[in-house]
Amino acid sequence: MKSSRWTYARRASQTLCLLGFLWLFVQTEYRGVDDLPYPVGLLFRLDPLAALADALASGPFGWGLLWPALLVLLLTAVFGRFFCGWICPLGATLDGLGRLIGRGRRAFSPPLRRVKYYLLFALSAAALGGVQLLGLFDPLAIFLRSLALAIYPAYNFGVNRVFDVLYAVDLPVITPAAQSLFPWWRDHLMAFHQPVFALSFFTLLVFIAIILLEKVEHRFWCKHLCPLGVLLGLCSRHALLQRTPKTLCAGCQQCDALCRSGAVREGGHRRSECLLCMDCTGFCPEERVRFGLRAPQRSGPGIDLERRGVVTALACGALAAPVVRIAPSQERTNPYLIRPPGAAAEAEFLERCVRCGECMKVCIGGALHPAFLEAGPVGLWTPLLVARVGYCEYNCTLCGQVCPTGAIKRLAVEPKRKTVIGRAVFDKNRCLPFARGIECLVCEEHCPTGEKAIVFEEKDVIVDGVTRRLKFPKVVDKLCIGCGICETKCPLEGASAVRVISEGESRRERTKLPAGPYG
Amino acid sequence: MTSFDRRTFVKAALAAAAVGTVPIVDLLPRPAQAAEGPPLAVRRGQDIPKLVRDTVGALGGMSRFVKPGQSVVVKPNIGWDRTVELAANTHPEVVRTLVELCLEAGAKKVRLFDRTCNDPRRCYTQSGIAAALETLKSARAELEHIDPRAFREVTIKGGKAFPSWEFYQPALEADVFINVPIAKHHSISRLTLAMKNLMGVIGGSRGKLHTDIAEALADINSVLPSDLTVIDATRILVANGPQGGRPEDVRRLDTLIASPDIVAADAYAATLFDLKPEDVPTIVAGARRGLGIMDLKRVRMV
Repeated sequence: MKSSRWTYARRASQTLCLLGFLWLFVQTEYRGVDDLPYPVGLLFRLDPLAALADALASGPFGWGLLWPALLVLLLTAVFGRFFCGWICPLGATLDGLGRLIGRGRRAFSPPLRRVKYYLLFALSAAALGGVQLLGLFDPLAIFLRSLALAIYPAYNFGVNRVFDVLYAVDLPVITPAAQSLFPWWRDHLMAFHQPVFALSFFTLLVFIAIILLEKVEHRFWCKHLCPLGVLLGLCSRHALLQRTPKTLCAGCQQCDALCRSGAVREGGHRRSECLLCMDCTGFCPEERVRFGLRAPQRSGPGIDLERRGVVTALACGALAAPVVRIAPSQERTNPYLIRPPGAAAEAEFLERCVRCGECMKVCIGGALHPAFLEAGPVGLWTPLLVARVGYCEYNCTLCGQVCPTGAIKRLAVEPKRKTVIGRAVFDKNRCLPFARGIECLVCEEHCPTGEKAIVFEEKDVIVDGVTRRLKFPKVVDKLCIGCGICETKCPLEGASAVRVISEGESRRERTKLPAGPYG
Repeated sequence: MTSFDRRTFVKAALAAAAVGTVPIVDLLPRPAQAAEGPPLAVRRGQDIPKLVRDTVGALGGMSRFVKPGQSVVVKPNIGWDRTVELAANTHPEVVRTLVELCLEAGAKKVRLFDRTCNDPRRCYTQSGIAAALETLKSARAELEHIDPRAFREVTIKGGKAFPSWEFYQPALEADVFINVPIAKHHSISRLTLAMKNLMGVIGGSRGKLHTDIAEALADINSVLPSDLTVIDATRILVANGPQGGRPEDVRRLDTLIASPDIVAADAYAATLFDLKPEDVPTIVAGARRGLGIMDLKRVRMV
């Protein structure tokens, strides 16, 4: 297939954008300064679907964060779906990997094409009803969370193992070289701590499934499923950038056969389907295909949706919302639902979070993990603090800095230190001084609030008939912010003897209980 | 100086690793300083570089501890994500001046590290120690992050709390080990001083040591004796230790304590908190186990 210079330009743009987003991804990490120097969440600030989710959420629209997404929509209205063909990192990944794994071809199928429209309509209707699931299908969120939760951790693991082996076998020349390379590599290209996530494998499966759809058809995801593609397609129906010739030429079916998005068919060029890959400027045997800016025309093929399908999609979405919302409150049924500091109240948080995984990538303590069902059926991939695995670092504000939609508000250090995400409670059946009559106090040692929220009382106890004076820890409720370092560092095997529960978190109205003598 | 030869130790460690066992080190009691007692230098002053130079100078200067071409480990306390004025980590100026002295004495390499409690990157930065060392602009001095692959299981002969524990190989390997803690309040061990500072060069689940912390610390210090102990009491933390966080818990004392005898140094530091050495179980255990002398009347003040 002959390629034109437009094709090369498009591939260069895809490669550069992919590398740029990967670079920003790698920068989504603490590297010695409290405020991240780069706009690492740029991908989602450019994301019109994130903007749609934000617009449909309760509370005001986040203009400050999401104006770039509106710019993308504006440019799309002029140029068409350039984002899909030239910028989208998932699109670039599919183009690149599809070539590698081999691609299938199947006949053009209008019913399948419509699926993405129905999906977007259903998701939007649900979002209007207060149930936001756009993020689950957002291609940029899929790309980034697959990277953050599965691929990058696996890469870190692999590279570390290679360096480990070289460290252990001690080969001449190679081992010293590897040893001198390791600190640089670790500091610039790797995560400082090996990232560990409970949902890695599941996340990877979804990603692999989307890649494997290339075996069915080139850009299967983009043509049939992608809700972001639909949104951009709707904006590009009257785009000024237009292709000539408008339809298939008599006697030549090349466009029909070769167009990756099936946009050029009998009846004309469908701008809402065209990914602007520009391949046709190269493969046209007559070199006849041109793209240029022209005044919009009313004629041309429409989006052949079926009214019945649209109504069904909207009804499904509209029904999903109340059904989800009548479920028992997660705050009541799951006391371990701990959200990052600065998270909006639970209902608004679920509406705003696009499940991109940025906060989990950046979390310095490895504390944030994707939820599966812990936050209810629609909380999939939202961030949870799992304090047994990692804790919220007292002076760190990174998760609020990277959140592209304001689901986690950006907090300065001082207010962050005062934000209560939960409270620690002791399990006296396991805690060493209570349960076994021996000293410990590791929790008290690590408690980071200036005036410690875990203190101790000395009491005489009789252990095996002998009186011993022991230090017993207790939590001062009004000082505890729920950072979870006590739960992380508790030296017991398995479950910690001190656990963080969501009681008293800042983001909801507190149930006033008597403070009691413990404060 | 100690009679303990780290090179021999490392050879033993590597040989033992080769046959898949852990090395057993025969620990002799520290060499007799008993005749006249171990020297202990205590100085006060606000100019920290001068204070460090004066205090080490009183012991005969750094050249008594570091010979040209030797490898040195300087072990500050960098355990917490706290800034200098909160007195949770060793003062960066103290650390930098000590490293300078080592370099002046001809050290081949000075390595610094700590197994921190908070995120190591934040601790190294917030403590001010990373920035202070950068001003030295010396390739021979290096502040490194702990490499988790470099821990080795070592048998503790005569260990009271534990028969063996994981130690950080670079700390064991160094020709000279200089222990530079900050003096702080600590709930379970009462105070955290030089003996407790060795928590930063061991692996494993350190929280488990808390159940019998005095003997555990004596165990660890018996494997890795400090050639020189310099306790930073330029400011001390008197409550909410060991990580503090409130300026009102900090007392400025402008004091530095140095001795080749770790127990004597800790014993003197205890008095800064209006405690007697025998009030701190770690010091008592250290003295009883032959790691040094806690009776300050038997110490030679220099």
